[in-house]
Amino acid sequence: MRKLIEFIRSIYVAVLFVVLEAAAIGYYAHSSSYTQARLLARSNQVVGGVHGFFAGVRRYLFLGRENRELTQRVARLEEQLAQYQEAETAARLDSYMQEIGESRYRFATAVVVGNTLNRMQNLLTLNRGRKDGIEEEMAVLAPDGSMVGYIVACTERYSVAMSVLNTSFRTSGKIVDTDYSGSIYWDGTDPNTVILGELSKYAEPQPGQEVVTAGLSEYFPADVLIGWVESAELNETKTSYTVRVRLAAEMSRLNEVILVADRDRYEIRELQQSEQVEQHTRQN
Amino acid sequence: MYRTIHYIGIFAITVLLQVFLFDNLSISVYLNPLIYIVFIVLLPLDAQPVTLLGSGLLLGLTMDSAMGAAGINTIATLPVAFFRPQLAAMICGRENIREGGIPSPERLGSRKFFLFLLTLTLIHHTIFFLLEALSWSHLLHTLLRIVVSSAVSVAFGWIIVRIFTAKLPVRI
Repeated sequence: MRKLIEFIRSIYVAVLFVVLEAAAIGYYAHSSSYTQARLLARSNQVVGGVHGFFAGVRRYLFLGRENRELTQRVARLEEQLAQYQEAETAARLDSYMQEIGESRYRFATAVVVGNTLNRMQNLLTLNRGRKDGIEEEMAVLAPDGSMVGYIVACTERYSVAMSVLNTSFRTSGKIVDTDYSGSIYWDGTDPNTVILGELSKYAEPQPGQEVVTAGLSEYFPADVLIGWVESAELNETKTSYTVRVRLAAEMSRLNEVILVADRDRYEIRELQQSEQVEQHTRQN
Repeated sequence: MYRTIHYIGIFAITVLLQVFLFDNLSISVYLNPLIYIVFIVLLPLDAQPVTLLGSGLLLGLTMDSAMGAAGINTIATLPVAFFRPQLAAMICGRENIREGGIPSPERLGSRKFFLFLLTLTLIHHTIFFLLEALSWSHLLHTLLRIVVSSAVSVAFGWIIVRIFTAKLPVRI
């Protein structure tokens, strides 16, 4: 008995090591990027303030550039507004005929207080949370309107978004002005390019063509700019293209972002999961 | 007691540096230095194995919750802490271990200490980046990340060690 106790004493550190390591590996194996986002959201309640301070300093340094970009955007929007006003006068009589509810999309802005580029699972931390009306699955866009990611976790004052530079990120994209769509994902190598995979072989992508969201995914409105075709190659079986897309959003210089919520999304999803739809799919 | 306060200090400094400085260095996808491992390097040579393991666990859990990584820091830090006595005996010699004290370039000689720092950092970074990639398809890419990040971690680790051990007498 004494020998047994001595034996256990001589190896208890090794046992402890194996147990702890196994527990850690088990936890890691069962985690997803959603677990990680939740963990980060929780720790941001403690360190978010300090991150916010540093983000403030960084923002101040880029104010000039941001101002220029904003004025450009204002100019573009003014131009569009003028066009719409013109069109509106013409269409006013028609519009009186029908009741127009609130618009389908709801917008909000936020400041990026945490951003990484050097991991496989990159996440963005934003300084707006549930009390500002932010909710999960809102789309995150750069100030020039290009795609950045979508919200995966929220607390009262902060939210965490999955960046497009995350190997778990998936959405659908297409070449502008065509109907061929593929899936957009990141292969973890270059923070300036993403992949548009499984694009039909009839699409014939040319370098420089714009790639936009297809609107098939639940997170992004249709026709949000993703980037430009850099190179494309057919796969081995010559059935589809794998396209490298240069990102329009500059992920390393992200200071402010626009958040977009789709008011119809819940209604559409409810409809998709409704009993009637299920019944029909079962019969087939 | 004198040492404990020192070590709480160095723990806080390495963690804060990692979270607020090195985690925000978004320069390249290849560069992700994890300098907090220098805390394990700096623990006394004659520390009990269970103390080492406990410190490793605490450090790993702290970094996991700060980085929002589900256990990956703990997985990488625990083996470093566990195998440190054996590695120290191999690299620094058994006499040095028996005498104890804080490992530093003055105490062990620059070459031996550098080797010690490099070995622990490499083990830690290798586990961390392999687990993060979780695939062999980009093996070269992952290897490059390990090499570049380890080099930067060792360089900064060396500076931190010099600052931490500058005012200490050669032996405590």
